[in-house]
Amino acid sequence: MLRLSMEKKRDKTVTKQMYFQGAFKMLRPHYFDNSGQACYFLINPGGGYVDGDRYRMEIKLEEQAELILTTQSATKVYKTPNTPVLQENEIILKKGSVLEYIPDPLIAYRDAKYKQNTIIKMERGATLFYNDILTPGWSPDGEWFRYELIQLKNEIYLDGKLIIFDHLKLQPDETGVNGIGYMEGYTHLGSMIVISEKVNEDVLQRLYGVIEKDLGECKAGLSLLTEGGFTLRILAHSTQKIEELMAACSAFLRKEWYGRHPVTLRKY
Amino acid sequence: MDNYLLSLFQLCDSNLPTGAFSHSFGLETYIQENKVHDKESFSEWLRMYVLGQLVYTDGLASRLTYEALEQNDAEAIWALDRKITVQALPRETREGTRKIGERMLTIGNDLYPSPLLSLYKEKTADGTAFGHPAIVFTIIAHQLNVPGNVILSTYLYSSISSLTQNAVRGIPLGQTAGQFILRDIQQWITKAIEQIRIMDIADFGAVAPGLEISQMKHERVHIRIFMS
Repeated sequence: MLRLSMEKKRDKTVTKQMYFQGAFKMLRPHYFDNSGQACYFLINPGGGYVDGDRYRMEIKLEEQAELILTTQSATKVYKTPNTPVLQENEIILKKGSVLEYIPDPLIAYRDAKYKQNTIIKMERGATLFYNDILTPGWSPDGEWFRYELIQLKNEIYLDGKLIIFDHLKLQPDETGVNGIGYMEGYTHLGSMIVISEKVNEDVLQRLYGVIEKDLGECKAGLSLLTEGGFTLRILAHSTQKIEELMAACSAFLRKEWYGRHPVTLRKY
Repeated sequence: MDNYLLSLFQLCDSNLPTGAFSHSFGLETYIQENKVHDKESFSEWLRMYVLGQLVYTDGLASRLTYEALEQNDAEAIWALDRKITVQALPRETREGTRKIGERMLTIGNDLYPSPLLSLYKEKTADGTAFGHPAIVFTIIAHQLNVPGNVILSTYLYSSISSLTQNAVRGIPLGQTAGQFILRDIQQWITKAIEQIRIMDIADFGAVAPGLEISQMKHERVHIRIFMS
């Protein structure tokens, strides 16, 4: 269980309330530049997630607060013979707040079962950058894709109205992964959701330019939502490639919208 | 003969002017990349489209609409209309589906009017609902006393048969090849219905990621005969 709320005091985003219990922990906030934007590193359970684990994270940004939330290392899910690991996230973003959620990848090992439900409630005028990367762990026999289930649901509400219902359910053994329409021979899947009043067709076209330049062998798509936002999905062969493409997108938008430099989340 | 049979023929007829003939739902991207190029590769694509995508979206939505109608729960239908619309992240697929839904709603409301259809139409006009063909079709068929399983199989058949006709034009395939596919899909529809009947509601809206990306990429396909 982890609960964090942030508020803006003068020019700086500071911690209003922080509470954690159990395996989740956090370090002190960092400030990368003089923008006042805070950055927290989440520390995942050391031994990874195992059978029946349940975690809950609640994040709240008050008006105008700006936060980068990331992890210190990948989230690892191990063998889950009985009850799937369940991660629940609730994020509340008040007017004018900005959250950049950039976790390390989720690595699902052999026979892992993982479910994640994320509910994000935003007020108009808040901005969200939300990333997810899913990767299979290596099995001792050197094969990918031995996890049983990864199921991620993201529901985003803007002023109380559902504006995205994003549901990925990967079951390599049941659907086959290489077939057309599914993973199509790729191993890694990345998603980026951006919600902002500043998103429009022009931004999207320019982002396509940013992505297509370095796409390589990946398969990627970008599309506008019903209102004020877009999603990016990437199929790739490595975490690094997805991170590069997402970093390029977020660097472009940080510069375009805030005149800020890209952040380097140095962890090692 | 069941009283509803001829009405169902009419609703499933590809001449029903819903505009379904101008949408490929990502198929055209695969055709342009030469990943779908003949009867076999199209069959594989279509099987994925039905069993890996439609069952979780349109299929389950039809079942849930039917259940809501049986319980007189209109609010559940409006919530479903929003959820299935915002579930489609690729814009062209979402907007295409919405257009087809709106046209089907207009036709349905003219031909088989009811207070619920007319309310649905009002809601799409004032922006409190979007219009989705699986929901509209299920409402009309439910009014005609068509059983749930028959609604599912006819709805799935009509979606798949328009896509198959589009594939015949787009790939292109011979007319006979198209008919063979329409025969073969019958067993998949049976399988799809079994899947939908026992499906956990929590599985609603799961996407096939490769298909979804191809639907997004269609926005960048420049020479095109389809709108999605």
